[in-house]
Amino acid sequence: MDIFLQSVVNGILAGCIYALFAMGLTLIYGVLNFVNFAHGELIMWGAYFLYLFISEPFSLPLSVAVAPAILCTVCLGMVMDFAIFRPLRKADRLTLLIAAMGLSFLLRNAAQFFWGAEVRTYGLEISRGFQFLGVSLTAQQILIIGVTVACVILVYLLFFRTSLGKSMRAVSDNLDLARVVGINARRSIRAAWIVSAALAGTGGILLALDTNLNPEMGVINLVKAFAATLIGGVGNLWGALLGGLIIGLAENLSVLVISPGYKDAVAFAIMVGILLTRPYLVTGKRTD
Amino acid sequence: MNVPQGENGPVLLLEVEEVFAGYGKIEVLHGTSIRVREGEIVCIIGPNGSGKSTLLKTIVGLLKPTRGSVRLSGKEVGRLDPQEKVRLGMAYIPQGRNVFPSLTVLENLQMGGVSLGDAGAVRRAVEEVLEEYPVLKGRVRAQAGNLSGGEKQILALARAVMTRPRLILLDEPSIGLAPRIIEEIYNRLQEINRRGVSLAIVEQNARKALAVAHRGYVLDLGVTRLEDTGAHLLDNEEVRMLYLGEKGNGPEQEPQDPGSRR
Repeated sequence: MDIFLQSVVNGILAGCIYALFAMGLTLIYGVLNFVNFAHGELIMWGAYFLYLFISEPFSLPLSVAVAPAILCTVCLGMVMDFAIFRPLRKADRLTLLIAAMGLSFLLRNAAQFFWGAEVRTYGLEISRGFQFLGVSLTAQQILIIGVTVACVILVYLLFFRTSLGKSMRAVSDNLDLARVVGINARRSIRAAWIVSAALAGTGGILLALDTNLNPEMGVINLVKAFAATLIGGVGNLWGALLGGLIIGLAENLSVLVISPGYKDAVAFAIMVGILLTRPYLVTGKRTD
Repeated sequence: MNVPQGENGPVLLLEVEEVFAGYGKIEVLHGTSIRVREGEIVCIIGPNGSGKSTLLKTIVGLLKPTRGSVRLSGKEVGRLDPQEKVRLGMAYIPQGRNVFPSLTVLENLQMGGVSLGDAGAVRRAVEEVLEEYPVLKGRVRAQAGNLSGGEKQILALARAVMTRPRLILLDEPSIGLAPRIIEEIYNRLQEINRRGVSLAIVEQNARKALAVAHRGYVLDLGVTRLEDTGAHLLDNEEVRMLYLGEKGNGPEQEPQDPGSRR
């Protein structure tokens, strides 16, 4: 029973982080109608930006370094759009896909160039978890849940309570219609990149706090975010949130029956399963 | 059916002159010209692929003309973005997908008012429009994607009047709707027109539109073929045969206008 509960808790923790990734991915997918395969690199760079600011010459305390790290990730996201995706705005999906994959390779290798391929950590002491109902939770893990909840509330307020957020949803629904009713589509798209990159950076930092950093961390998490996006339906923020939690839980509960070595395969299996049985999710939008 | 008179006859609002436009390398409009005067209902008819939808998209700025000019109250607006044209008093209701399905009815209206600027102005405009369109009142929290076809068209119309435009461009407002709802939509349109708003209506259902229009144009293969009053066009033997499908030898009436391809 304890192992089961612990797996559920671990699943929710992983799910929180996947949800942050998936919400950012689905946002760009909805607004610009393509899968940003370089989203994983925003995640990874977010984590490395924090590493940069806590090490020499900055040597900022971890809690302070978070702000410039996320700011840099947002800038990276905007540069990505400005340099690569904006010139390709009218290009077909295949071109965008290949451009995004190329960008992903470039950013991954850049990180490897600066920090090497080895696994790094923020150098925090390994803390003993609090025991609660036979479940162990570390301070970092409580932070993950808290930050995710805060992000979800902010996302809700932005997208459902502000004009800018509603404009982004309108652009996601129908770009041409948004333009003819007078919405500044360019501003909405820029805002979508900012939110997407901020969520990626935040998630990347949380993931690195809980585990570690390496240049490959973006790729594997992109797959999970993509699977979560598919579960939720393209452009559907709450679907992505739910999808992230489902992937996290599925992975961690699978450990009860199969070897933990195959944990990552679970997300792949779910993704392939959805693509085979409900391919319309990739092309159409859920309209509930 | 009174059109305001300027010193030299009716005041010109929209002037499309010898416009060439299309999608990439495919040119659809080969020198199309139309005029809309202030307070006028103008109907544009023509067979499939004649460029009716393309013409509206070019006027609103979704497509940019490669040659020719589009003038609004004498000012050249051919190169402007749709966003800027909204501010100049233009509104456009596309064919088919003309509401934001994942937004609520209220949010759709609010989006119609984004160009009004401050939140207070948007709120006042929403209140006014809901007074004018009471059917939407009970459904403000409903998701627009769940509305019926008629309700969507009403919502699209209500959203278009949020900015109090001088000119509304409508692409097939009656498509796929029941006769009773078409009647309601056209009553609404005439009511809007009585307040001095000009309308340019593209219709496959030409009979209905010509009956309410002050003037009409017949478009064929991207050029303006005929121009006359709505009543005259309805009486015109050639128009009746070729474009109103009488005597059964008219062009095929398909619901989808190829000119609306993206």
